Amino acid sequence: MSRRASPRVAGYATLTAIGLVAALALRRPELAVLSVPFALVLAVGLQRASDPNVEVEVTLASDRALEGNEVDGEIAVSAATGVDRLEILVVLPPGLEAADGDDAVALRLSGGDERTIPVRLRPARWGLYDVGEVEVRARDVFRLVVWQRRLGHPTRLKAYPREESVRRILAPVETQAFTGSEVARTKGDGIEYADLRDYVPGDRLRSINWRASARRNDLVVNERHPERNADVVLFVDSFADVRRGDRSTLDDAVRAAATLATRYLERRDRVGLVALGGVLRWLQPGMGLVQRFRLIETVLETGVEPTYTWKDVNRIPPRILPPKALVVALTPLVDPRYVAALEDLRARGFDLVVVEVDPVGLVEPGRDEIERLAYRLWLLERDVLRSRLQGLGMAVARWGDDVSLEAALEGVRTYRRYARLARV
Amino acid sequence: MVWAGLRVVLVALLVLVAALVLEWAPLLPASLALLGGVYAAQLYADDARLDGAAPLVAAGLYVTAELGYWSLEERERVEAAPGEGLRRLAIVTLLGLVALVVAATLLALADIVRTRGLAVDILGAAAAAAALLAVVLLTRRPES
Repeated sequence: MSRRASPRVAGYATLTAIGLVAALALRRPELAVLSVPFALVLAVGLQRASDPNVEVEVTLASDRALEGNEVDGEIAVSAATGVDRLEILVVLPPGLEAADGDDAVALRLSGGDERTIPVRLRPARWGLYDVGEVEVRARDVFRLVVWQRRLGHPTRLKAYPREESVRRILAPVETQAFTGSEVARTKGDGIEYADLRDYVPGDRLRSINWRASARRNDLVVNERHPERNADVVLFVDSFADVRRGDRSTLDDAVRAAATLATRYLERRDRVGLVALGGVLRWLQPGMGLVQRFRLIETVLETGVEPTYTWKDVNRIPPRILPPKALVVALTPLVDPRYVAALEDLRARGFDLVVVEVDPVGLVEPGRDEIERLAYRLWLLERDVLRSRLQGLGMAVARWGDDVSLEAALEGVRTYRRYARLARV
Repeated sequence: MVWAGLRVVLVALLVLVAALVLEWAPLLPASLALLGGVYAAQLYADDARLDGAAPLVAAGLYVTAELGYWSLEERERVEAAPGEGLRRLAIVTLLGLVALVVAATLLALADIVRTRGLAVDILGAAAAAAALLAVVLLTRRPES
């Protein structure tokens, strides 16, 4: 432990010296008497001060938590020698806070004492947090010496993003070959009725529509849409983050990605992830609960790393973007490199949906006329960009303060319904 | 003289308040030194034989210093165990009483040896040497 003198030592030594010098100069023993308590405390206190021997360990009840939820833990403290005042400060990384407001406790320990102090932590935002280190500060009974040291071993706490409320998700234009919950546009064995056609040898008897056959005096069979799964790729923009206070576009994008991943995986779709930014992260599409945790843990590592390099879609391995996949882009639409990647993907024929995490509410309009003019120009440029993307056949949904994710996705569904008609 | 003393006391109290408000510990001994200076000036002006109130002044200054530093330490938001404040107060009170007793004993001793001429000088020199020794001991403690 590092040892240092408290401000008392300098203060008491100064007062002692002043008192004694004044006593000598003025030849008054009373002034020497004034300095006696300070000198006495210094002499006795510094003689008695011995290095404390303390062990501290922080354990958490769980290494996973949902953003905003509390995680219980405890601090185990043991002291081989007595400590008059032991202050324990849990070192909390930014984004993690003490749920009850106190991340520091003080206690008195006798030699051989063992104590357990409960702590409750709350991750204010999703992410990976290293918890377990504590700053320990010990003081002697005279408060003359302070010992300080950082103890404990960090363990990782994964804070999963909380999910947005989404009941209906986007259906892809094309489905894949495996059985799933999405009604395919093609015809085959399924439940959903599609059409009638004339009977051909080889058709199953159960497919014959007897009522229609009786009306036409010829055998007619039902055609149905099969239920298939889909490939969905969540395409997160990590080039830029617009942040104001507790709100951030990247935080919202990650929450939306986690929500959509969970919903699609519930439908037995294959879900993959691409986080395009300073660091390119991807996860190959997959199904099931394991894929859900993989996705969320990959998304937790997403952050904005500044880069000036031009990164495009060519850097993404082809197996990450399977053909006929629905690509859901989550972006504040502020970085031209990401917009270029969207245009590139669309040009390659991907079924692309852009969920714009609206940064407008996070930007101040400006104080003077020039700043307000720039703000208005920026809004106009965003409108132009949105129109350009829609012109390329992308559905662009704005998700912001006044529009929920559910409503934004509903807007995309409406757009895609008309877009399909236009294409026909 | 009285008004000048009162003014200095007022300044000392202001310095004390500033030390606590600004959380600047070096101001604390400065305010106590000013108070002690007023007492010294009064002793010098009165030229009394030996002031019996010196132990009370010494204990008062010491308790003021302890409470001031305690107040500065409490600015850090640390949740202490229940009863810890009372225990600390008891310790400060006890130290104040010990200071009072020791100061009174030393004053009585000084009164006895005062008649022997240079005794007070020797006592002062010995006390100064002890204070210096304490400071040297502190600075020589190796950091672990």
